[in-house]
Amino acid sequence: MNLLTALAIGLLFAAGIFQILRRNLIRAAIGLVLISNAINLFLFSVGAYNGIAAAYANATGQISDPLPQALVLTAIVISMGGFAFVLSLLYVISTRYKTSDSDQVTGLKN
Amino acid sequence: MPHVLILPLLLIALGVFLALLLRRAPLTNPQAGWLLAVFPFAAFLTLLIAYGQAHPQTFSVPWMPALGLNFSLYLDGLSALFGLIITGIGTLVVIYTGYYFDGAHASEHLQHANRKSAITNHQSSIETRFFAYILLFMLAMLGLVLAGDLITLFVFWEGTSITSFLLISYKYKDEAARKGAFKSLFITGGGGIALLAGFLFVIHLSGGADFQTVLASREILTTSPLYPVLFSLIALGAFTKSAQFPAHIWLPEAMTAPTPASAFLHSATMVKAGIYLLARLNPALGNTDLWFWTLSLIGLTTMLVGAYLGAKQNDLKPLLAYSTVSQLGVLVALIGQDTEIAFKALVISILAHALYKSALFMSAGIIDHETGTRDLRKLGGLLRQMPILFGIMGIAGLSMAGLPPLFGFLAKETLLASATHPSLPAVISTVFPLTTVLAGALILFQAAILVWGTFLAPPADPKHPAHGHDPKPGFWLPPALPALLSLLIGVTPVEPAFLANFLAEAAKAAYGDKVKVSLALWTGINVPLILSLVAVSLGLALFWQRNRLRPALMALLPNLTVNALFDGTLRGLDRLSKTATRLQGGKLRVYLSIMVLSLGGLLVLFNGLPFGFVLEHQSLNLTGLNVLRLFALLMLAASALLSVFLRRDLHAILAVGVVGLAVAVWMALEPAPDVALVQVVVDILSTVILILSLTLIPRALRLRAMEFTHKQSRPGLVRDALVAGLAGLVMMAVTLTALETRPRLSVVTPFYAENAKPLTGAKDIVGAIVVDFRAADTMMEILVFALAGLGIYTLLHYATRKAGVHSREASAPDLPPHTPLGVHNLPTSPLLHVLAYAVLPLAFVLGITHMMYGHDQPGDGFTAGVIISLAIALWYMLFGYYETRRKLAWLNRNTMIAVGLTLAVLNALGGLAFGGGLLAPVDYGKMLGLPLPPGFALTNSFLFEVAICLTVMGAATLILDNLGHPREDDPEAEAELDAIGER
Repeated sequence: MNLLTALAIGLLFAAGIFQILRRNLIRAAIGLVLISNAINLFLFSVGAYNGIAAAYANATGQISDPLPQALVLTAIVISMGGFAFVLSLLYVISTRYKTSDSDQVTGLKN
Repeated sequence: MPHVLILPLLLIALGVFLALLLRRAPLTNPQAGWLLAVFPFAAFLTLLIAYGQAHPQTFSVPWMPALGLNFSLYLDGLSALFGLIITGIGTLVVIYTGYYFDGAHASEHLQHANRKSAITNHQSSIETRFFAYILLFMLAMLGLVLAGDLITLFVFWEGTSITSFLLISYKYKDEAARKGAFKSLFITGGGGIALLAGFLFVIHLSGGADFQTVLASREILTTSPLYPVLFSLIALGAFTKSAQFPAHIWLPEAMTAPTPASAFLHSATMVKAGIYLLARLNPALGNTDLWFWTLSLIGLTTMLVGAYLGAKQNDLKPLLAYSTVSQLGVLVALIGQDTEIAFKALVISILAHALYKSALFMSAGIIDHETGTRDLRKLGGLLRQMPILFGIMGIAGLSMAGLPPLFGFLAKETLLASATHPSLPAVISTVFPLTTVLAGALILFQAAILVWGTFLAPPADPKHPAHGHDPKPGFWLPPALPALLSLLIGVTPVEPAFLANFLAEAAKAAYGDKVKVSLALWTGINVPLILSLVAVSLGLALFWQRNRLRPALMALLPNLTVNALFDGTLRGLDRLSKTATRLQGGKLRVYLSIMVLSLGGLLVLFNGLPFGFVLEHQSLNLTGLNVLRLFALLMLAASALLSVFLRRDLHAILAVGVVGLAVAVWMALEPAPDVALVQVVVDILSTVILILSLTLIPRALRLRAMEFTHKQSRPGLVRDALVAGLAGLVMMAVTLTALETRPRLSVVTPFYAENAKPLTGAKDIVGAIVVDFRAADTMMEILVFALAGLGIYTLLHYATRKAGVHSREASAPDLPPHTPLGVHNLPTSPLLHVLAYAVLPLAFVLGITHMMYGHDQPGDGFTAGVIISLAIALWYMLFGYYETRRKLAWLNRNTMIAVGLTLAVLNALGGLAFGGGLLAPVDYGKMLGLPLPPGFALTNSFLFEVAICLTVMGAATLILDNLGHPREDDPEAEAELDAIGER
């Protein structure tokens, strides 16, 4: 199972990197979402316990580790905020440089 | 009283400040000079008193105790010798400076500046800048020789580099001055870096930076395998500073400094810094083969090169500059020796050189000042006009030539005695005397043409003879004093015992053992005297044949200078940086590839690849895999790959949305319902935001961008795929290692699990962690999220605004009400409108339930905020921006953010007030005895949830608002964009 988890995270990460390397900046933004998903999943998976019950006080059986869950929970919301910010940058770039091709965004002023 | 040691430095620092204050003082330059000279003179006296009190003595104050760094001073014979020369000659130079900038020369100097102001403000045109610089230079140099440890020394060492740069570039409007200053800073500054590295090695090996420790660890230092490295580094620093061949090229160009600075720089400071350092470290690092051969060879080469180049000069200042180079070579060669006589010669040479060179430089400046030229081809016949100056230059020149009965003679005799010392090895024992005699002859030749050409020879150009007359006494006094001293030390019938003892102390500090110094000129007929006679005869013969010799010298290899090497190095550096810049072609993708590859490479380099690890831990065991997990996995993989291969951006975005949902399924199976819930709603909101932002980018651009998404060259695609694949593999390896090696015992989790209910009243442990145990984290997090929203608002409203265009808020078009147009201005179905009307209140109910019961069930403030935002997003999608704003006018996002954040802070303070600590749990409901429905508790956790919800909602709405805002119609820009898209 661990290997499968690692495989999925690796695949997600690779897809994200590949997208980020596209000239099309929209694709780069997509790549960012994929990467943040991969990272969140990674953090989420490396908790100390793999439980069989959700982390509730009255749960029966081994609960899954709530700490990384809490951390990932905040991370998800934060990555959305950061991602939205990137998108607005994308808009700024497209109006200033009149392109959404990262290869044409070369100068510092335009 | 050890504090007396800091006084000289403080006095000169005081002088610097006073010099700066003199700008508006009603003084002439000479008056200012006399006034400011008080400070170096007082420093001279203090130094003398301190030396008389005790030597060696130290002074130390902690500087950075954590790093073991002190600011410490150290005074012994060697530092006293240098310190007294610096302050003594410094006093004379400051007086001299006043006269140098007086009258005609001053106004000439100011001709670059505003002439009018120079005339009207003539009274106040004190050269405060120069006075301040030269005193600052003196301060740096004095600190250097008084420094008690290597780090303090280094700080002052760099100080001399910088202040000399300021002095050399003083006439910065002159290109030669700027070039000379740059060259000197480049060479000495570069040497300084090497020096620092060398010092760090020494400190590392000897275990301390102070001189007592360093000088006591000779054994460790010289036997260490690092010795050649640290020696080379320190020697590089000292050689560049002391203008040793081939780094001597900066010294003649430093002549662009005003003459007082040159006189000071050559006789007492800067170039002597390297000599001082080598002499200071000789007991610790010297007396090895490497030391002996390097210093001897470099020193002798410099001695000869300087003497030869000096003989070619016509200008008085470069001529003197090259003779300084030659003399510095002598000093370095002497430090390389391991004989008592060499160190006797060293201290005598240092003093003799300082005396005659300062006198000669200041005199050259007077000649320049009075006649307007320093060129030997224009000077001549000045004896009658300037008899006093002739006297000064004559005496100093005789000392430079090394003729009896002057002090310089003694310097040359002792030098020759060390050159013929029987302990020298085979090659050096012939080369050393030979070089010394040859250089001595050339120096004598220079001294002779200097004095002859200026005063005695008939005017070189009889039609325009140089005019001049002896200046005011204050002007010639500063050069006269050292010249007179050169004579007095030589002719005094009774040997000045205090001077001999003083020099012996200095030599002892440099040699590391007792050195006997006598100042008797006559030591009988011996080898040095005979050699001296040979040198004098040779020099006189050269002088006799001067008219034939000089043209020959001029013709000999006129272009052979090391400057070509320097210029070549600079050009090479330029080319190198150009090549390096070519790598940064402006393609962000290339940078990213490099970053990803290097990061992956570093990870692999330091941790290796877990191949063996995988096999060892039987990672292929598939316990825990069930149909649902397999489904999530396949969904994840398939949609991730789809997002790569789908051609249209919109489809790719939808695929990414599916990836997020697959992640949510994965999380739900963990089981982690809270996270899964947040992941679902955030994923949907992200997708909506992405689609909205698509509308921001003009269609033409998007189509074009979509085209080249897949129309990429095959090698480029393969390269990117490889980079991505490698990155994925590294990530996979990291994950696998983390999963396999993670600790199975958590320290904090059991605490949270046990205390969630009793302490916070929440059954949901994750929720308890978020809003209670780690509430401060969460507060920061909502702040960040709010800032993201506000940042987007700022970016879209101000960064993209053209100059002159004001707020876009006011530009709502006069649309008839109830004409909802959705995304892309497309009409939307009324059925969906009904849905939207129904969804918004439902979302509020759902959100409030989440907040009220979140502590016992999945869901919390985040979820609530995002769910309500999603309902609002639906409105934006269906009704369009204006209609939504009109209908939901009560929905003020800025207020929501403000209220949310304020509530969060107040709530935290409430914990402090009622719960005994910031963010401590408080049950307000129980406190006030409110009748509340079962399962709901009015705690500060609940209030925090509300705060989170409000902030997230506000920020998310802000984001939606701005990204969903239709852009202003700018026909011109649209047309332009369309044209770009079609190209």
